[in-house]
Amino acid sequence: MVGIVVVSHSADLAAGLAALASQMAGPDVRIEPAGGLPDGTLGTDEDRVRAAIRAADQGSGVVILGDLGSAILTVRHVLERHGNGHVRLADAPIVEGAIAAAVTASASMTLDDVVRSAEEARGAGKL
Amino acid sequence: MAQASSEQAAGAVTVLVSLPDGVDLHARPAADFVRSAMGFSAAIQVAANGREADAKSLLTVLALGAKGGTELRLTATGDDAGAALEALRDRVSTLA
Repeated sequence: MVGIVVVSHSADLAAGLAALASQMAGPDVRIEPAGGLPDGTLGTDEDRVRAAIRAADQGSGVVILGDLGSAILTVRHVLERHGNGHVRLADAPIVEGAIAAAVTASASMTLDDVVRSAEEARGAGKL
Repeated sequence: MAQASSEQAAGAVTVLVSLPDGVDLHARPAADFVRSAMGFSAAIQVAANGREADAKSLLTVLALGAKGGTELRLTATGDDAGAALEALRDRVSTLA
């Protein structure tokens, strides 16, 4: 099953979103938060992202959702060094993208399907 | 409850089914519905309240805003369309 990583400047935001997505997707999808800096302040940390990727990876790939700006740069930097197509950064809004990705992953869909479902969130209206 | 009405319009199959009373097509029920739809290769649309969504797209299904008791119109096209609608009709009627 494809795993999900949520990267945010805020540890609280990452953890809360992971919990919300997990409630929607059920217990079989690994959804790992990577938020904040080790000293508890706001920011994104490459080591936390790498650890979350390892924890989320069950062998079918990992999709990463990031919040803004340097979170995206941090993920891209990690993937430049370790990228092999097995771990993908979705270009999507973080809340809707993570939830859509998690539910899609829970149906045992492929990595491509999970990335696509996250990126469809860009055009999905709420009203 | 499940009220089937099959049609043959351009190879599409349609069924009508109502959400159980008190079960909105939000959050976990929507995820359960979409997960069921993803198990089939058929293209599946779900319509309610005059709007239509891709049954495999959680976010568009959530945007339907379908409340408990609402009648859903499910339309499928593809090799397993009939089986898909049968499964989804059962899934909807047992959502909790």
